[in-house]
Amino acid sequence: MPTNLLLSVSVKYWQEFQDTLAKVMDANIYIFDINGGSFSRFSLPVELCQEVNKGRELRNEKCISFYKSALASLEDKDIVTCPYGIKLCAYRLGSYAQKIGFLVVAPTRLRTQVGLEEENTFVSKANSIYQTINEVLKAILEKNLLGLRRLELNSIYEISRLMTSIVELDKVLDLITNSLIIIYKAELCVVGLREGDKIKVAQAKGEHAQPLIGREWPLVHPLMEQVFSKVEPSFLSLEELRPLPGFAGVEVTPGAEILIYPLWTALGAVGLLGIVAPVSMDDNGDKNLQIYANFAAVALSNATLIRRLEREAETDVLTGFFNKRALRNILANELERTVRYGTPLSVIFLDIDDFKAYNDAFGHLSGDVVLEKTAEIIRNSIRTVDIAGRYGGEEFVIILPGTNKEGAVRVAERIRKSIETFPFPHRRITASIGIASAQKDDSIDLLLARADQACYRAKKEGKNRFCLNLP
Amino acid sequence: MSEITEKEIERYENLLREMWTASAKYLGILSVNLLVERVVWEVSLEYQEIELLQYDQDGISCARIAARLKENPELPVGDMFMKFITRYVAILARLIGRERTEEIKKRLNEEFASIPFDSREE
Repeated sequence: MPTNLLLSVSVKYWQEFQDTLAKVMDANIYIFDINGGSFSRFSLPVELCQEVNKGRELRNEKCISFYKSALASLEDKDIVTCPYGIKLCAYRLGSYAQKIGFLVVAPTRLRTQVGLEEENTFVSKANSIYQTINEVLKAILEKNLLGLRRLELNSIYEISRLMTSIVELDKVLDLITNSLIIIYKAELCVVGLREGDKIKVAQAKGEHAQPLIGREWPLVHPLMEQVFSKVEPSFLSLEELRPLPGFAGVEVTPGAEILIYPLWTALGAVGLLGIVAPVSMDDNGDKNLQIYANFAAVALSNATLIRRLEREAETDVLTGFFNKRALRNILANELERTVRYGTPLSVIFLDIDDFKAYNDAFGHLSGDVVLEKTAEIIRNSIRTVDIAGRYGGEEFVIILPGTNKEGAVRVAERIRKSIETFPFPHRRITASIGIASAQKDDSIDLLLARADQACYRAKKEGKNRFCLNLP
Repeated sequence: MSEITEKEIERYENLLREMWTASAKYLGILSVNLLVERVVWEVSLEYQEIELLQYDQDGISCARIAARLKENPELPVGDMFMKFITRYVAILARLIGRERTEEIKKRLNEEFASIPFDSREE
């Protein structure tokens, strides 16, 4: 019975109850789990069993194999005869929906000549024992189930609170996966978010979950079409999911089914929620998990929307670079890091030469192309840790963490040359560049102002060059 | 008479507090509280006294279990706490990965040498 999580019960306490019942009823009681393995011991010694295996435990292979095969084929109840000639009453415990295990009731003494009346009395006694034990076990199961439902509801409550209190997507993803693993002892929990025409796995937890994170599953994949063709969950085996990227190395308990919930909101599909849970769900469990998935969908939808708005608020639409506001925030953090760790920091201020004249001559659309291409050149000329942004109009700022002035000069010259030689439409384009390195007690405004002054000097000295701001 | 003394309860309390703090670092207080609630529920199916464990956003306290032990010295608290720890660590491993769980176990093993940790279920 320990295999059934919901029927987790102290064997010690159970044995005491079973032994008392056996004594009162003058019958031997033995209980097996759903797989035919022993749960409790014989309550009273059986004479013949004592001869065979010293009484209280089943150590005889012959007995074990008899019980396994007899119980495996048991429908509801039956009278069976053990290999040593004892007539036993065997019952299936639980309900049709929730099978718990098996009960065997045996007489306390071995009788060779048993009359019909005596046999009927024993069967009636065994039936009473069965009714009692089954009711007690069902009550334990019900109580345990209520405990699980309470946990589920608490978690649903927390998720519903999330919608008004937490907007950070990472936190929402963590809370959803964490609570599902905790409540259902899930082996695996996956949350995928819709990104255009695909689902991208944003979070996965469980022993073999790591390879799934970041994987993308096209919505036109037959499995995804199956999942999103309805609002209810799909029950899929690991073998069915293998064709999806990331599932090749995933392992779950053999035969386990994976529930995939499509996450829907009024705006359409937000993503999906996958869970491998060992607890078999009843109707209420299914409904609770569905409610959970619905709340998760709304929480994820809100968090995704807010993340998108935040990104849009700090991004320059034309170049995809950070805008002025975002750049200043990043620069503040980098300056703080410089002070804390004593690492160098440089800033490049770049201004496209004679951009107004280019715009006036060839139109704003052509001007936009110049800005886009310049951004592309800058992007290709810096490291991934460097941060580039459009400061305004034709001005760009590049933040170079961990870079001293010599390093910054190399980057600036590389960018200047690339712009000068790039085949822009209509005519050659050049840029003037100012470089400044962070000093002690620098502020964002001071550092940017020095880079700007250096850029102004470069313009003044003939354009298409860089100038260093020397302290 | 149980061999578990008040001092040992105190040791278990310190251990649970350390586990709580180490897990909260990775999971956040909300998830850790849910994890404790879940394990308390599971262990309470066998040992109801675990429900006396107090936990909130500030941490864990075994004061009520210690008081109960005075009334009932036969309480199998050692077994109860071991079941709690085993089940807690088993779920924790799924949440933060086996590697990080091993790190926490290693550190706790150094401080609480006599308490064996295992993330495998009994």
